[in-house]
Amino acid sequence: MTNTKTNRIKSMLAVDFRRMFTTRFLYIMVGICLVMPILILVMTTMMDGSVTVDPQTGAETVMEGFKNTWQAIGSLPGEGGMMDMSLTAMCNINMLYFFIVVLVGVFVAEDFRSGYAKNIFTVRAKKGDYVISKTLVCFVGSALMFLAYFAGAMLGGAVSGLPFDTGTFGIGGVVMCMLSKLFMAAVFVGISLLISVAAKQKTWLSIVGGLMASMLLYTMVPMITPLDSGIMNVILCLAGGVLFSIGLGAVSKMILKRTSLV
Amino acid sequence: MNAIEIRGLTKNFGSKQALKGLNMTVPAGAIYGFIGENGSGKSTTEKLICGLMPPSGGTIKLYGKDYTDPNVRSKIGVLIEAPGCFPNMSVWGNMMLQAANLGIKNAGEEVGKVLKTVRMEGAASNKFKNCSLGMKQRIGIAMALLGDPALLVLDEPINGLDADGMRIMREVLVDIAKDQNRTVLISSHILGELEKIATHYGIVRQGRMIKEMTAEELEAGCRTYVALQAAEMNRAKALLSCKCSRVEEDESGYIRVYDPVVPEDIVTYLYENGILVSEIRTDKIGLEEFYIDLMNERGREP
Repeated sequence: MTNTKTNRIKSMLAVDFRRMFTTRFLYIMVGICLVMPILILVMTTMMDGSVTVDPQTGAETVMEGFKNTWQAIGSLPGEGGMMDMSLTAMCNINMLYFFIVVLVGVFVAEDFRSGYAKNIFTVRAKKGDYVISKTLVCFVGSALMFLAYFAGAMLGGAVSGLPFDTGTFGIGGVVMCMLSKLFMAAVFVGISLLISVAAKQKTWLSIVGGLMASMLLYTMVPMITPLDSGIMNVILCLAGGVLFSIGLGAVSKMILKRTSLV
Repeated sequence: MNAIEIRGLTKNFGSKQALKGLNMTVPAGAIYGFIGENGSGKSTTEKLICGLMPPSGGTIKLYGKDYTDPNVRSKIGVLIEAPGCFPNMSVWGNMMLQAANLGIKNAGEEVGKVLKTVRMEGAASNKFKNCSLGMKQRIGIAMALLGDPALLVLDEPINGLDADGMRIMREVLVDIAKDQNRTVLISSHILGELEKIATHYGIVRQGRMIKEMTAEELEAGCRTYVALQAAEMNRAKALLSCKCSRVEEDESGYIRVYDPVVPEDIVTYLYENGILVSEIRTDKIGLEEFYIDLMNERGREP
């Protein structure tokens, strides 16, 4: 096979996809993403309206669950401000951005711990090829997690008897919202990959560093990707995803070039 | 053409300078024994050649091109430290993964061939983590051989192996070395084993190349000595020490006289002093002694 950039990336992608889809880890993550929304929706629906009393002050707190299945996917119009810390804002599909950090952290750390990274960098792959391949493969892995969560949320909504009322945003809004969230995943993949190639074989450092780096952006996600998202939200997220992936990818490449790989 | 040409290579780790302007020339087709004590810079040099860390200064050329050139990198097979394999994956699976990375089309056939070369064809279905150290090293070499590389870089492939593992590894290396078109750079502490296969040597000390030579030059450079056994060893040694400048007793109990003397003269001299020589022969020092001598000479230098 001729040693062109396309061929190198093709063979790296083939290997990375094969690796990702033959490890149990991806399936565990996807499984969690499928089951988690079912549990969240069923449990919060059961607890909806229950009152807890603070024994010290006697203040009553009413537990508010999800009013609509789509809340598991995005914020309803008018909700989901930057510092919205409500249950519905925190326990929805946006949690998966933290899962991406774990997925990328484990995947990349395994490359360095096993010596696989050493193998590929000595023979064929250029540092840029590695970054491109990892970004694409982790993005696909993340997309699978989002789709699993979406399916789980639909099942959870059906099981818990929550309405599927699309109200003012319509089914088009849901589709745009999901697309925006998927493209936004590329931003988190870029951040996680950068931290992971810097941390190399230290999985814990990749994950902790990735979570911390993602935190600021995470608070902005509900605002950027609400349920009434339009084409502008999608374009914004797509542009952000592409720019972050390229920009952070370039920094990742530079780190790989300038640091020891063993 | 030279397979590897290094000029003025430096590598700093913080304030510590691991390589201090190392020069190295490995001709194409050579089996290059890379020798040096621990911390002398052998592994660092090999890692730099393999692109696993950036140099602080100097140039590395592989087959006349910069070492970062992807076309030249694809000609290299490497075993640095441990082989890079996923522990829970089978030997075959790991090999196939690397074959896919290299873009090898008939991967199954190629993997089977290299596993046969390293006598591992029977262990292909074993999980990598269940393999012994010797097997792992051979898998590493098999992985390095994938894609029929023109240059093999092997870092201490013999170390840590038991006698049997070492014998198999030697056979494997001899088989690999038979390919006249392949250049092998091999670092090892086990000089006796290296001496059996190397055609060229490079001796590195404190980050500098202190000697590069061919096996013929080593042969010519190795001093001859006279080894003998006599009835009264201690008295014989004392008598010879008065007559010759360097007399030592080796670990096998022979007295060695390194001065350029004729064995018959020694026999006569000892006989005249009432000592009968039971055995006498001339021999040459090997790579190990040559290396030790060289290190001692350099150690005495200011």
